[in-house]
Amino acid sequence: MEGDEEDFVFFGTPIEREEDMTSRKKKSIAEASGQLRTLAPWKQEVRDEEGRRRFHGAFSGGFSAGYFNTVGSKEGWTPQTFTSSRKKRAEIKQQDLSNFLDDDEKAELEGNSLGTSMQFDTFGFTAAEIAKKQAEKEQNERPSAIPGPAPDEIIVPATDPIGVRLMLKMGWRRGHSIKSSRTNSLYDARREARKAFLALSEDATAPALGSEHAEVEDMETAAYTDNVNQFHKSTPVYVLNPKQDMYGLGFDPFKGAPEFRENKRSHDSHLPGNRESGHKRLPPKKDGLFSFKPRNVAPGFGIGALEELDAEDEDVYASGYDFEAFVEEVEEPSRLTIEDKKKSSVKQDGILPGFKVATNSDYQLQRFDPPVVPKDFVPHHKFPATLEVNHKMTEVPPTEVPSPVDNNLKVLIEGVATLVARCGPLFEELSREKNQSNPLFDFLSGGNGHDYYTRKLWEARQKHNDKTKPLLNEKVAPPAPKMTAESRGNILGEKPLKKSAKDVKPAVPTTDAVNLQFHLSDTFTEPASFVEPTEITKPFQHDPAKQERFEQYLKEKYHGGLRTKDAGGSSKMSEAARARERLEFEAAAEATKQGKWGKDSKPSDQQILGASAGRLQFTSGGSEKPEASQAEELMKSMFPKREEFQWRPASILCKRFDLIDPYMGKPPPPPRSRSKLDSLIFMPDYIKAATEEERAISNNISSPASQLGEKEGTTTLGLEDKVEVENVERPVDLYKAIFSDDSDDEEGNSNVNQPEDPTKKIEAANTTLSRLMAGDFLESLGKELGLEVPPDQPYPENRPEPHASQRAVPEIHQEVVPQKHEGIDSDTHKDVSRIKESGSKSETTEFNHEITEKDKKVKRVESSSGDERSRKRSKRHRHRSSNSDTSDSFDDYRDRHSSRHKGRKKEHRKHSKDRKHRSHDSSSRSRRSADKEYGDSKREKRKWRLKN
Amino acid sequence: MSAEDLPKKEANVLKGHEGAVLAARFNGDGNYCLTGGKDRTIRLWNPHRGIHIKTYKSHGREVRDVHVTADNSKICSCGGDRQVFYWDVSTGRVIRKFRGHDSEVNAVKFNEYASVVVSAGYDRSLRAWDCRSHSTEPIQIIDTFLDSVMSVCLTKTEIIAGSVDGTVRTFDIRMGRELSDDLGQPVNCISLSNDGNCVLASCLDSTLRLMDRTTGELLQEYKGHTCKSFKMDCCLTNTDGHVVGGSEDGHVFFWDLVDASVVSSFRAHSSVVTSVSYHPKDSCMITASVDGSVRVWKA
Repeated sequence: MEGDEEDFVFFGTPIEREEDMTSRKKKSIAEASGQLRTLAPWKQEVRDEEGRRRFHGAFSGGFSAGYFNTVGSKEGWTPQTFTSSRKKRAEIKQQDLSNFLDDDEKAELEGNSLGTSMQFDTFGFTAAEIAKKQAEKEQNERPSAIPGPAPDEIIVPATDPIGVRLMLKMGWRRGHSIKSSRTNSLYDARREARKAFLALSEDATAPALGSEHAEVEDMETAAYTDNVNQFHKSTPVYVLNPKQDMYGLGFDPFKGAPEFRENKRSHDSHLPGNRESGHKRLPPKKDGLFSFKPRNVAPGFGIGALEELDAEDEDVYASGYDFEAFVEEVEEPSRLTIEDKKKSSVKQDGILPGFKVATNSDYQLQRFDPPVVPKDFVPHHKFPATLEVNHKMTEVPPTEVPSPVDNNLKVLIEGVATLVARCGPLFEELSREKNQSNPLFDFLSGGNGHDYYTRKLWEARQKHNDKTKPLLNEKVAPPAPKMTAESRGNILGEKPLKKSAKDVKPAVPTTDAVNLQFHLSDTFTEPASFVEPTEITKPFQHDPAKQERFEQYLKEKYHGGLRTKDAGGSSKMSEAARARERLEFEAAAEATKQGKWGKDSKPSDQQILGASAGRLQFTSGGSEKPEASQAEELMKSMFPKREEFQWRPASILCKRFDLIDPYMGKPPPPPRSRSKLDSLIFMPDYIKAATEEERAISNNISSPASQLGEKEGTTTLGLEDKVEVENVERPVDLYKAIFSDDSDDEEGNSNVNQPEDPTKKIEAANTTLSRLMAGDFLESLGKELGLEVPPDQPYPENRPEPHASQRAVPEIHQEVVPQKHEGIDSDTHKDVSRIKESGSKSETTEFNHEITEKDKKVKRVESSSGDERSRKRSKRHRHRSSNSDTSDSFDDYRDRHSSRHKGRKKEHRKHSKDRKHRSHDSSSRSRRSADKEYGDSKREKRKWRLKN
Repeated sequence: MSAEDLPKKEANVLKGHEGAVLAARFNGDGNYCLTGGKDRTIRLWNPHRGIHIKTYKSHGREVRDVHVTADNSKICSCGGDRQVFYWDVSTGRVIRKFRGHDSEVNAVKFNEYASVVVSAGYDRSLRAWDCRSHSTEPIQIIDTFLDSVMSVCLTKTEIIAGSVDGTVRTFDIRMGRELSDDLGQPVNCISLSNDGNCVLASCLDSTLRLMDRTTGELLQEYKGHTCKSFKMDCCLTNTDGHVVGGSEDGHVFFWDLVDASVVSSFRAHSSVVTSVSYHPKDSCMITASVDGSVRVWKA
């Protein structure tokens, strides 16, 4: 058996023994029971019941797969958030194969699909197709101005196909035919032959051959260039000019400015897309005119349209360059940014952003030399005539010549001279031509009297020039000419004495002659300057008589002649007065003259001073200075003026100043008007309150009879007043009607009414009140029922009861008995206080409640006279008696009251707040309904009155 | 003190304000000073060493007046922004802003206990603000003035204020009365004598007037300077021997208190001298000007 066994040949692996199997099984069972539990689930190995590791995915390898033999993740199938299908319908997804494939499977699948490699895209078709697809995709993503798919012609591949690149490497150039120039066999053969030839004959005949070689070379190159030309013609140049901008087709933004195209192109060449064309780089520039935004600015962060870009706004990290591509590029942008920064930091004025100053500019600013000013140019525009006059002026005046004996001739000469001076030399020519035959005009052409004529002409010109001078010589003031009698007379219209023709002396003073000439010239010129002085200068306007005398004086002074008898002033004047006046006139004349002169040409400073000094004397304001000083004195005596007022510091202020409030315990003063509105509303109340109080006073003292009479007298008087008072009083009541309980309003009234009139009055008041209420109630009821209720319009008239008087009397009392209360004061005071004392305690307390409450409610009713000083806490006592209440009266009332019942008052103050409601309730509960109605009716009534 | 002891030598120039300096005030002991100006800042200086210590920025407009408490812990300031600011000195924070003036506030002062700030406004009112409570309402409004209130001074019991209506009004809190002294000329600035008996009022007719407070008598008038359109401070020297005032031409004038003669005047600034403050103890003075500088003068 053994031998036999040895001969056996075994194939395959033997089956394991039974024992082995069982042991392993046991082990696996043990593990499953014990160890398995302790191990983390993902560390546990999955084994089969035999204890072997389970064999998963035979082809993808590994024993265990997934997560704990389940799925690929701990979470298992990723749960999806539930979306309500009612609100938002789940999108129906088109499922396809990829949804069910794993990543690796997808990768596998991708590898299976066949496509052309870009590398072997020989003719660029695929690239074009891709570009097209890309363009379409872009088109879909962002709609452009041109709808629909982009035309094929526009879309060109971004990269060159491999074929082109290969051919470029082989030496092919764009635009050439594919047949390479280098492949020219003829050229090659020749070249080889030449090489050999050169090698052979190099040492022997080098110089000779050199020339020959050159010749050959020439020939060859000629042939070659021929060839080249041929090549050029062979294929049309295909210009690759991809459209990369967003402009419309055919639109050329650089149409008018080709230099910007160059700029743009060089700029574009930096883009990674067409890198190969741009090895040689121009420094990129900011887009210059077209946009102020430099390219390397971080997009879209916080730069307003009007803000200028600063260095820090530039995003140095986000520049559009590929730093790895070229070494030189790395440094270039950084340098540029530095430059940019420099540029922006050092602000250069006058340079457009994106430009820099050329070191040597082609543009030469063409400068023209200013025209040479002629030496004789005078920088004034002058009319020809005056210009000439000016020229003449500079000339040496002709010698003074005695006037010709013939008077006629003299007159003629002077007349012509004046005319010529005015009209220019042309006139002279003209008249010379005209009167050539006339012997009288010989002086024009150098005959008799020519010298005199020239002299006259010069004079006339001078004079004419003088008139026009102010125009010319505004700036260039001539040295003030010395005042001569002539010039003065000239200005003031003095006319020289006429000379008889007989007593012409050969040695007539020239000045006289001049004057004569002037006199003559008057026939031609308007003697404006002569009219003015007397009309303009009226230094004594306030005193007509004096002015008249002054004028007389002037006349005398400048016209010469005999002095009139009463020249120096009226006959009434004393000699001294006359002399003084004369002096005054003298100065005035001087002053006016100076002033006049100043109009023509600038006088010297001294003259101005003199003139102004002269003028000063004539102003009535001369007495102002003493007056002013007097006023000052007065002021000194008047000021400082001390006044004393009462002022009430706030208690808290006193506290903060660590002082005792001087008004402590006293009621707060009625504040000043806080605003105009307040004072407007509350103003009349104050008056009314005061008057009411007065009325109350009068009521108290005056006997019933007098009271009655007074009432009767006053009701009629007060009628018109009443209307306005009631009108102005209304706002308060209106507010009260709206904002406060009617009940306490009434209550207060009734309460106030009570104490001031002792027992009997209370009753009267009550009856009044009830009647009032009844009346109002009736009225309102009637209104509600739509019945016509006779309006109790004039309140006092319809009701002759005390109420009427209450309404109407106040005003009258203020007017009729203004002083009354002063005297009565103390009496009434006592009276009132007595009354109050006598009043039941409960009533007074209630009253006090009312006061405090009122104080709070009507926060300080305004006083009309606003200022405390006017009031000064005068001891006027006010009683509130009518149903229009004012806290003013209350204040005073309480003031007095508090002085007497201090302790009690304090207590009231303390508790007033919480007691208020209770007291209200208790006191008003019974009346409430009636009050309410009353209030309503009152309101209604008021409305009605307003309508009236 | 003789005229020779007057501070006429420039000891320091405090530079830092941009634009006009409108107020310069010594603190209580005279070791520091506060300035406020058109640049909306308040600056704290050591004038004796010429050091700028701190800047207080919060005002929205020019600072017209500033005052510091006696314990140097708080500052109040006012200005064109109609508010009174109550600052903490050390932190430089605004503790409170008192709003209520209807117009620019011309002057502020603390009371003796630094519990109340009294401000004088262009709105013709004086307002007293409580620093102790958190209320921002004024505890007292005095609006008897007829025109802008320019300057305010406080004593222990009184509030004294000068107004453009020509009055210097004294509000006696203890007595509860108001004394109005009409000087007849717009009052620019008032300043109390150190003994508290007199009040010096700078009027817009280029005159300083010294008034007896108890009687309301005009004691003396000081003239020679120009003060016609600017709010310019005046004060008395620490000994009450002289009156100091600025002029619109940049000069500073010293008058003898008694005989009103100009003891000394010198050009202190290139422009209007807006503020003058005298050291409480020493012969030292600070002047502020529209030219933006604050100068410290010593004898």
